[in-house]
Amino acid sequence: MPGLRVLLLAAALLLTGTPALANERGSVIRAGDLYAEPFIDAAKVGPLAPNQPVTIIARKGGWLSVETGGKRGWVRLLIVRLDAATPAPGKSSAALRTGSTGRTVATGVKGLDEGSIQAASVDRVQLARLDRLGASESEARALAVQNRLKESQVAKLKPGKGK
Amino acid sequence: MIRPRRLFWPLAAGIALAAAPATAQFGVLSDVVNKAQSAKKIGDGLHSINEQEEIKIGGDLAGMLLGAAPLVEDPAKQQYVNRLGRWLALHSDRPALPWKFALIDSDDFNAFSTPGGYVLITRGLFDRMRNESELAGVLAHEIAHVERKHHLEALQKALRNQSFSEMQRYFSVSTGNGLADRFTDALLSAGKDLYAKGLDKEAEYEADRIGVVIAARSGYSPYGLAGVLQTLSATTEERAYGLHTRTHPLPLDRLARLDSAMGLRFENMPDLIEDTPAFVALRNPALPPRPAPSPPRPARKKRT
Repeated sequence: MPGLRVLLLAAALLLTGTPALANERGSVIRAGDLYAEPFIDAAKVGPLAPNQPVTIIARKGGWLSVETGGKRGWVRLLIVRLDAATPAPGKSSAALRTGSTGRTVATGVKGLDEGSIQAASVDRVQLARLDRLGASESEARALAVQNRLKESQVAKLKPGKGK
Repeated sequence: MIRPRRLFWPLAAGIALAAAPATAQFGVLSDVVNKAQSAKKIGDGLHSINEQEEIKIGGDLAGMLLGAAPLVEDPAKQQYVNRLGRWLALHSDRPALPWKFALIDSDDFNAFSTPGGYVLITRGLFDRMRNESELAGVLAHEIAHVERKHHLEALQKALRNQSFSEMQRYFSVSTGNGLADRFTDALLSAGKDLYAKGLDKEAEYEADRIGVVIAARSGYSPYGLAGVLQTLSATTEERAYGLHTRTHPLPLDRLARLDSAMGLRFENMPDLIEDTPAFVALRNPALPPRPAPSPPRPARKKRT
């Protein structure tokens, strides 16, 4: 059962959550607190000032384990941005885009840029293959069982405030 | 299937008939009707578009995007993305659409959705994910665009001056029809502009909010999308942020909106998944195939 062994190995990699990639560094977006543990009611280790640099050690849900100003603790993910010098996970980023719709933030050599979209024509052979890819509801549920995903009732969010 | 919009046709023809001079011959009347039909614009007609029509539009736009970046040749990953995507979509407001998900072959960091349930994600984005919840976050954001019909509505605005009858032909025949092909050309042109320039900011913020809820309902950490936005916030080219800022929110603005909208709502949700052994294995085909410890053997002298 080589597949099972691969899964077991992979499981071993997961024991401690997602380790941050080497050299992930960031800075604090807005004032907040450093916590002893990744919970909002955990003890506070100290205050965080805007633009304070942090080195990211690990990630856990909405929290980052960081080192900053000689202290170690947890900070909420949503108030940290990554430094420009931080390489994107995985590969060097020649071309980065955001959103679902293609705002080019850097020009890529082999990017799916405006020019390539404007020049594209409908590829019917590829589309026919895409149309054969869908998964059934039962296949989706099988994946959820395999991955131990638990459904929850979650109400929709009201709009947040921008800056 | 009843198509409500088409119920208006007898009415439109009736108005044209009533407006014609009483002395007109039948042939002249039918000319008037034909002219009224061909002159009729789409206007708000896409509001009542049915699901099959939406899927046809979405399929052509997905085919156009595939023309720019084809499918990745990796059946295992395509299957996984489809099962995960369908699981997420089951927790949207449109669970029954024939959802199709795909990895497309581009180094870029991007994802697209088209009407009717097509979701495409670039290999570059997939490869840079830290964990499965980030993939779930991006797919759920795209599912939210389909749920809210963001692209369909944007296309409606762009195509409002197109001929209604050409659109009707487009829906009723495959290719090779002059009228239908005229609409196809207009659709693709509008679609290219849309996918090159983007939706408005509010649509993106809304998709972010709906996406995190879909992810959490499905059992994933809702912070996966935020992780991807954080990756994007590290982009080095500050000058390039100026491009399209009117229509596309910056990653930091999206993080701030999510921070405000999410608050501490998800703090105490138990058992949310960030990553799974199956996803780690899928992403690391180089993992040694059989590292299992060998059973203990009786000690023997080793040869040197």
